[in-house]
Amino acid sequence: MRRVAVIGVGVTKFGKHDRSSGELFAEAAVDALADAQLAPSAVQALYYGNVVGGETEHQLHTGPQAASILGIPTVPTTRFETACASSHAAFRHAVMEIAAGISDVVLVGGGERVLNVPTADSTEYFAYASDATWEQPLGLTFPGVFALVARAHMAKHGTTEEQMAAVAVKNHKHGTMNPKAQFQKEITLDMVMKSAYVADPLKLYDCCPFTDGGAAIVLASEEVARKHRRAVWVLGTAAASDSMLLGDKKDLSRVTATERAAKAAYQQAGKTPADVDVVELHDCFTIAEIVATEGLGLFEPGAGGIAAERGWTSLGGKVPVNPSGGLKAKGHPIGATGAAQIAEIVTQLRGEAGPRQVGGARTGVTHTLGGNTATVLVSLFGRE
Amino acid sequence: MITLKGFFERAREGQLTGIKCGGCGELAIPPKEFCAACGTRAWELVPLSGEGTLASYTVIRVAPAKHVGDAPYAVGVVKLKEGASIFGRILDVPFEKLSVGLPLRFRPIVVKEQTAVGFAP
Repeated sequence: MRRVAVIGVGVTKFGKHDRSSGELFAEAAVDALADAQLAPSAVQALYYGNVVGGETEHQLHTGPQAASILGIPTVPTTRFETACASSHAAFRHAVMEIAAGISDVVLVGGGERVLNVPTADSTEYFAYASDATWEQPLGLTFPGVFALVARAHMAKHGTTEEQMAAVAVKNHKHGTMNPKAQFQKEITLDMVMKSAYVADPLKLYDCCPFTDGGAAIVLASEEVARKHRRAVWVLGTAAASDSMLLGDKKDLSRVTATERAAKAAYQQAGKTPADVDVVELHDCFTIAEIVATEGLGLFEPGAGGIAAERGWTSLGGKVPVNPSGGLKAKGHPIGATGAAQIAEIVTQLRGEAGPRQVGGARTGVTHTLGGNTATVLVSLFGRE
Repeated sequence: MITLKGFFERAREGQLTGIKCGGCGELAIPPKEFCAACGTRAWELVPLSGEGTLASYTVIRVAPAKHVGDAPYAVGVVKLKEGASIFGRILDVPFEKLSVGLPLRFRPIVVKEQTAVGFAP
């Protein structure tokens, strides 16, 4: 298998836009190609993430649409849909295409538009990623799924609402240092604790926002990447799934797909959690960050809440998590999120993250979770 | 093997139905072809008592478009005494009385003209 590197990244401002998901992706892709110092004609394939295009934009077949807007209509494109992990799944397959020797330059990215519909509608569309027979008819929502995880984690480990709130406060603080973030304002623990319940015990400030945005990354074979001073290497990339139904998951306080994907990715990279300098992980809800830090092996099961509360995951802490502001503050354009997380880790490992830079970061991890915890992707990145 | 349609027809009559693996004894909720635990494809239908305890729960206050009129409502995962777990609406329990371990019993409900799983004390 050939080595694969990231040689270009691009991310739009996250928030509300009056442009289509394809336009948002294309803006990010222009930046990623400029960063890679490549002409669009160098791109041999596009692996694309988009989730609710069918619902919010009445648009399927978003792969060729995105490629057409970018101006590369004839490259092979495939749209990936693994709920919120879509562009991270797209990334993994793009890595395999280059590693297998099929292509030398592949574009990966995603675009999502949801703020053009009312919140009740986007809540409904996101719930389509839960089971249509067993769960949707009962009015399950995504805050609802993670509220069940939170309640189980609280019952098993004594995790508190204050510990969850600490994740939100930390990620909002990090977001103030990211000019692309949807929210660039600090919040207090008191504001989180006094915000209204969305799905008990999760409150408004425990939840990431709905977001429009796009992200793109340029992947290259070793031969191409060697010409690039700022190449960041893909050390490992793994996917894992879990049972679709909530009732079939053995322990709701854990996300076992994270544990399995992390184990495989660390093994590919020849690294352990102790080697990790910086992490971008899937904090769609504050409890999701706590459980992910445990699943990635950064902290013992049950210690994720304590780690957040004590600042171990803050910039300057033991292992900074979500320096970009995470999904919580940076925003969560679901089809673009995985690619945006990778863009942040690449920026960190290049030492180009400005005020939010993790000093001396050499090894980074991205973690993206899809829907009802049934899909997880974990990837590791490193400098030479 | 029982189909989803068959499961919900029985559920409407008040009967929850599980499937037990002839290979390893794993109890599952249908439909499944192979047993995820051992890979065997030899299921036996098992009537379930519908009795269990609450494993986790939440009160949905911001609802999807189709359920806005119902909010707030409680949902949760109930671990049945036979071993399998199942997601459902929690009925007739004041929200402040919900707790992990609360004993509950299956009760079929109809939501938007569709039979669904409910649990009540």
